[in-house]
Formats: sequence, C-alpha cells, structure tokens
Amino acid sequence: MSKYHNFMQRSLSRREMLDICKGGFGSLAFMSLFGGLPLLGCERPKNNAASNLYLGPHYLPKAKNVIFLYMDGGVSQVDSFDPKPRLAKENGEDPRKKFKVDATQFDNVGKILKSPWEFTQYGNSGIPISELFPHIATCADDLAVIRSMTSNFPEHTNANYFLHTGSGIQGRPSMGSWMTYGLGSENKNIPGYVVLDGGLVPPGGLDNFKNGFLPASYQASIFKSGPEPVANIVPKEDGANLQEQKLDFIKQMDQSLISKMGEEDAVESAISNYELAYKMQTSIPELTEFKSESEATKKLYGLDSDDPHKKGYASQCLLARRLVERGVRFVELTCPNISGFDRWDQHSNLKNGHERNAHAVDQPIAGLLKDLKSRGLLEETLVVWTGEFGRTPFAQGANGRDHNPSAFSMWMAGAGIKGGTIFGKTDEYGYRVVENPVTIHDLHATIMHLLGINHEQLTFRFGGRDMRLTDVHGHIIKDVLA
Amino acid sequence: MIVFTIGFLENPSDFILFLGRLHPLVVHLPIGFIFMAVIAQFASQKPKFKPLEPFVSYIWLLGIASTFFAVLFGYFLSLSGDYDPDTLFWHKWMGVGVLLFIIGCYYSTKQGKTTFTYSKWAFTIIVAISIGITGHLGGNLTHGSTYLLEYAPNTVRNLAGLPDKVEARKKVVVLDSADVFLDIVMPMMNSTCISCHNDGKRKGGLKLNSYVNMLKGGENGAAIVPGKPLKSELLHRITLPENHEDFMPSEGKRPLTTQEVNLIEWWISNGAPDTGYFTALNPDKKTRTLAENYLGLNKKNQLYSQQVAPPKGKVIDTLAKRGFVINRLMNDNNFLDLNLSLSEQSLLPNDLILLLQLKEQLLWLNLSNSNITDTQLEKIGALNNLIRLDLSNTNITDKGLEHLTALEHLEVLNLYNTGVTDQVFPLLSKLKTLKKVYLWQTNITEATVLQFKKEHPNLVVDFRRE
Repeated sequence: MSKYHNFMQRSLSRREMLDICKGGFGSLAFMSLFGGLPLLGCERPKNNAASNLYLGPHYLPKAKNVIFLYMDGGVSQVDSFDPKPRLAKENGEDPRKKFKVDATQFDNVGKILKSPWEFTQYGNSGIPISELFPHIATCADDLAVIRSMTSNFPEHTNANYFLHTGSGIQGRPSMGSWMTYGLGSENKNIPGYVVLDGGLVPPGGLDNFKNGFLPASYQASIFKSGPEPVANIVPKEDGANLQEQKLDFIKQMDQSLISKMGEEDAVESAISNYELAYKMQTSIPELTEFKSESEATKKLYGLDSDDPHKKGYASQCLLARRLVERGVRFVELTCPNISGFDRWDQHSNLKNGHERNAHAVDQPIAGLLKDLKSRGLLEETLVVWTGEFGRTPFAQGANGRDHNPSAFSMWMAGAGIKGGTIFGKTDEYGYRVVENPVTIHDLHATIMHLLGINHEQLTFRFGGRDMRLTDVHGHIIKDVLA
Repeated sequence: MIVFTIGFLENPSDFILFLGRLHPLVVHLPIGFIFMAVIAQFASQKPKFKPLEPFVSYIWLLGIASTFFAVLFGYFLSLSGDYDPDTLFWHKWMGVGVLLFIIGCYYSTKQGKTTFTYSKWAFTIIVAISIGITGHLGGNLTHGSTYLLEYAPNTVRNLAGLPDKVEARKKVVVLDSADVFLDIVMPMMNSTCISCHNDGKRKGGLKLNSYVNMLKGGENGAAIVPGKPLKSELLHRITLPENHEDFMPSEGKRPLTTQEVNLIEWWISNGAPDTGYFTALNPDKKTRTLAENYLGLNKKNQLYSQQVAPPKGKVIDTLAKRGFVINRLMNDNNFLDLNLSLSEQSLLPNDLILLLQLKEQLLWLNLSNSNITDTQLEKIGALNNLIRLDLSNTNITDKGLEHLTALEHLEVLNLYNTGVTDQVFPLLSKLKTLKKVYLWQTNITEATVLQFKKEHPNLVVDFRRE
C-alpha cells in the first residue's frame, strides 16, 4: 500500500493532529462570529478545508463565475485575431529562407500560406477580426484579445493538461476544480464545476477535468448534449420512496465506515455526491428545459439553425448562461464533433475545416455574450475563449497548418475585463511572440485574480508541498483588466 | 596633511566624492571608541576596574585612527558643496579639534606620569563635550536644523529658542475647502523634496520649504515660473526619465506620481498662486479627479478602505435559513454580498428588517427573481453602502425606484425585466455614483433612453439586446 500513501490517510498522525487543532481555533472563532455558517456558501469536507478561504476571497472579486469556451485543437491565430499582411505578400515562398523554423509535429513543412480570410476592423476599438467570426466581431468592443499567448507543449495531450491544470503532465487538479475548491458554488443543487460536452472529449481525456489531489467533490460534472444531459438523472426505481430508502441505507453504510476509518475524502465525497445527485433529479430537468426561453433568445443563439453542430453548440451556450444564472462557478464548453473536420486541428484542408468549426461556434458564442450582457450577467461573469496552442503561418503539406505553441491568440470578455483591448504582439508572420509574452500560468493567475483569489495563496498541501494551480509561476495580465 | 589643504581641491574627482559619501558610515566608529575610552578612564579610578588602566591609551589610539578617517572623508564630503557654510565651518573645525584633543589624550595616558594627570582629565572632558557638539552640527547638516526638535514638547522647543510647533493642517474632507498651495503643492514638497532642499542642506542652492524660496530658486534659476510650466526647472527635473542624471528626486528616493506631477503642472500653468481655494481656480473635471484622488476624497475608495464591524452572527444565521446565499467580499474586511436570486422561498417583511441590520456591511445585493415590492424598496433605499443592486425579474416600478435615490455609493443597478418606464430616468439622474444600469425588457422608450444616454455620456446604459 505504500505507494498510495500520498492519497490515503489511515489515521491521524501527531503532526496532523496539531495542524488540525491549530486551524481549528482560528476557524472556531470565525464560525462563532458568523453564526456557524461556511461563508463561501458551500459545504466542503472539514478535513481538507482551506480554512483561510472561509474568510472570503482574498480581495474584492470582479467576477463570480467563469465560462470557458475551449477551442479544442488550436485555432489558427493568423486566420482569426492576428492579421499578417506579409503572409499574403510572401505566399508560396519557402519559410525556411525567411526565418528559423522549429521542428513541427508532422515534419511536413510546406510553403508560407496566406490566410484565406479577409480581416475587417470592428467596433469603436477597431479590433481586426477575420471573416470566420462575423458574429463574434459584433462584440469586438467587449473583447480583450491577447495575441501573445504561448504554450510549453506542441502536442495536444500535454498542451491540454497544461491549459486545464497548469501542468503538462496528467494528474493535477483542473482549474475549475481549483476555483470551486477556493470559492465553492452558490447553488447547492447543481455541481459547482460543470463541463458541457459538445461531442468531443479533448485529447488527454477526462483527466483534463479531474480534481487531482483536491477532494473528489471538486471534480467536473460532465453534462452530455441531448435529451438526458446527466446519465440516469431519471430515477430507475419504482416510486420515490424506494429510492429514498435506498439512499438512506447507502448513507448509513458509508457513515458507519467513516466512524471506523476516520475522516476519509473518498467516502465523504461519495456521501456528498449522492446527496447532490439526489437534488439534481429535480434541478437538472428544470435547468435543461428551454421552454421558458423566448423564440428571440433561441434564435439569437442559433438554435433554429439547419447545421446540427451549430444547433448543438447553441444549446450548450444557452445552457451555460442558465448555469451561471444559477450560480454555478465554472462552466467549460467543449467543441462539437464535426465528422471529417476534427475540432480546430486542421493539418490539412484548413479552409473547409476552420469554416465548418467557426460556423458552428460563432453565432452561439456571440449570442451568449449579448444575452449575458443585456441581462446584466456579464457584470459578474468572465468569458474565456482559447485553444491549447496556435498554428503555423506556413502550410503543412499543401493546405493545412501544423501546431504552433510559440504564439497564439485568445480573448476574454466580461467581468473586470477592459473591452476593446489588444495585448501582445507577434512577429510579421505571426509565428513567434515579440512583445509581452503571456504564459498559460499568467492566464490562470489572471482568471483567479478576477475571481478575487490571490493565485499565490490558494494552496493545497500534497506530497509535502503547498501546491498551487500556477505552481511557482504566473503574473497577472494587468493590461487587460478594466 | 590633506586636511589642512582647505580650498586646494576645487574640482574633486568622483572617487574622492565617493569616499566622501562614506562619511556617515565611518563617522560613528570613533564616537564609540572615544566614549569607550572616556568610560574606561573614569572606571579605572575605582580599584575594582584598576586593571583596565594599561588599555586606555590603546583605546585612544583606535579613536585617533578612526577619527582621522572620519575627518578625512568628512572633508571630501564637504567638497561637494550644498551645505550651509556656517554650520559646515564649525562642524569641520570642531572635527579637526576633536582629533587633536584625542591625540593629546593618547599621549597623556600613554606616559602614565603624574605630571600629565591634570592635562589628561582636561583633554578628556573637552573631548567628551566637543564630540557632542560636533555630532549635533553634523546632524543639522544632514537632516536640517529643525529635525531634532521637530516633535519635541513645546517647553523643550521654547528652551531652544524655537516657537511652538506649527499645527498640522487639518485633513481636507471636502474638495471645496482645499487650499491649492498649502493642501496640494506643499505636502508634495514636504514628502518628496525638502529632505534635500531645506535651510541646512540646500542641494543645488535650492530650498523648497516655502513659496518664497521656490520662486527664488537655486543655482539653475527659479524653480517655478508662474504661468510657464515649460520654463519651470522644478517641473523639468521631475518629468525627466527616471534614469536621467538630472532627474529629481535623486538617489533613488520615491519619485512623484504622474498624478502629482500633473497637479503641479496644472498649478504652475494657472499662475502658481501661493494661496487660495483649489476649486476657485475652476479646475476641469480631470484635474478635480486628480485632486480628489490625491487628497483621498474619491468616494469609492473611501468606502472600500473603511473598516466595518463584523455582522451579528444571529442575523447572518437567520438570513441564511431564509434562503440568502451569503458571501464575504474580501477576507480583510467584513463587507458582504447577499444573493436571494437562487432561493425558492419568498421574501418576507421581516427579512428586510434583518437586512437593515447589515446596513454597514452590505455592498452587493441580488434580489433578482424575488417577490420584492415597491413599498419594500423603501428599506433597501436605507442600505446606504450598496454598490451593486440587482432587481431584475421583479415586479418593481418607477414608484419603488423613488426610494433608492439616496443611495450615494450605488454603481451598478440591474432593472432588467421590471416594470419601470421612462419616468425612471429623472430618478437615475439623482444617483451620482451610478456607472451602469441595465434596462432591457422594461417599458422604457428608445427615444428617451437615447436622450438620457446623451446627457450622461459616462453612464453605461444597456437597454436592448443587439
């Protein structure tokens, strides 16, 4: 069993005993002050509570919720938010004669490839956006575009882990887990960290959404698209009474186990997960029922579209709004599964692939931004749009683009964000960052900052060390903050 | 010896000046040695400490060596000029005097003969007194002659022939009562400039401790030229790049903030008056904001920086049971965020009375989707510290909004999907701190809202879904 020692605590050691008592006095004093209420509006396992966070966020938050629009596969920056006229001028020339070309994933370096799409400046801010996103372009003045994102990994799986967990290696807690661990969720009937599965689980699998070493109740709940988003949400038992009795019995068994073993995250989380699942039987059908939404709203998101992928993503976006409306802390949307055009990962056939993907997500995202804004929800919601890396300015083969972690574009909008901003700069080809490079750690630090969390102070002791989402890195990107 | 070649080094090299800057460092060592020698010499009179006697002369010798360097470096420092000549003269020569007297002490103790007994004690006492005076003069040179007794009790100050302490100016609470020179310009000089430009130190021949001295200027002419910011040396120096040789304040002291620089520039271009109310000079909105921020009068900042008491546990407890989600907004203060929008319970009159008990702490309140009525808003209007208020998806109307006009901190108001009409705009105008208002799905008309937006260009009004 020795290899599990980092995960399972058998009984209290002297150190742990002292540690718990030490924290206990502080939190006792606080609890009595506030009438015994865990002030972050969430119930958390006692043994793992970050007691300082009962005191509220570290400082005044700007955002309460996050919607993370994950552009799986890596959108091409030079075809979306970072126009490069020089590519058109030198289209078809050998990139290796122009600049140093790094090793690429598929080692199939083609010619310099100009963007097949025109860019236009939008809004009062004049942010240039390509024809791929005509709807998002109408929200230009709400966006803070970062053109100088970098990643450490040129390959999907590691880059996905890095983007989601701050580490390229599998097993760390996902950012949504960190946020809910730090702040809890305002809604006790819906999980605080929800992933809306658009049809594609990103490479790296469910480990992108796991709680890692954090208590198991902070892992993502994955909602599928379609009529039954959460598996088995309709009770299978004959009669509610039977289900209640069954759950009571399971709880009894679990609690008797705890009384013998001592506090144990796996069992405690199981108990709280059963309780939450029970409540979800009523909260989820209400949540996923769009009857109360007006036709205009559905149309705004594109729910009336003939494109089944757009329709699907539209319903995910609308669901995302309904989730943040209900106080869910962190919502991530994954990409639709468009057969033949694998996510944004166009190693060939860039034009068709990017167009199909953009068509599916563009209108729903713009609809989401506008809907959130007009209801005042964008005041407290941060929307983040990004892939795990960018694409090369030269072709892979004839008409694709390979992975490029040295530069890519992303945007944020909503609470605490200075809309109409462009931050960072790439070289004339959009291949490398030349000004204000931003790392994934910086992005995490900034998201946490907007939620009122000091990324250096939200820690969890594991393996003898106080772990952070940003590890020992991360600088807040002040230039995009309002 | 170099000490006696006064006036010889007219253009000291950088290295000499560097050594001069070490004067404050080395000057404290001889003081320690000399006092140790004096104490040892007195103590050795007692039989118990008699064994100390043979060592006394060696301590004096250490004193001589260290004093020599202190005097030498002090002389180097004086070559850089910038010091009050009278004080410098006395400090310099008394320093040399101390050196000579302790040489005397050394010889008279070294001989150990009875013939030297009187001179030994005479020298020792003279040294002890003169080192005190020399040190005091040195302190005056560095910190200014008013430094030592600045905070002394008035009786002590009067004994020294100084007037009573000047009462500090009262903290400005209203912008209208701020004096342009005494409350805005002079405090900047005090915090940043006068440590080097005072009656004692006067670097560059410049004193910035009064209006008259600022006009008089220094070696490079007038520090300020009223009405001509570009000709004012002071503004020139504080706006240079920080790594520029002539940048002020020098020596890595805290530079003036952009806000402070802008205020000084504004003051000079408005004729640099030596007194008069700030607002009487008709500052534009931008300058007003600068001054408000400088004087700490910014409303929003004030509210957040105010420390409030913890709320009553019982109130929190009851409200939580009544369906409110309660969050603390930051962990170093007791400000609260209350959210009823997720609750299935309806709002009861008693809940509002409980809310009133959180009047101080409550900054964000979300009553969206609740059954709050126009009359109940009267209580909400008394929650004076509210910054964000969400009343969306409720049945309230203009009538209820009338109760909210006294909220003097309100910044965000969400009235989406409520019954308000065009009558709401005159009420919104009364909310001076309002930054954003949400009005989609209400009974307002587009023409009126566009007119209102034109009248309030700084207010973000969201009234339609594009």
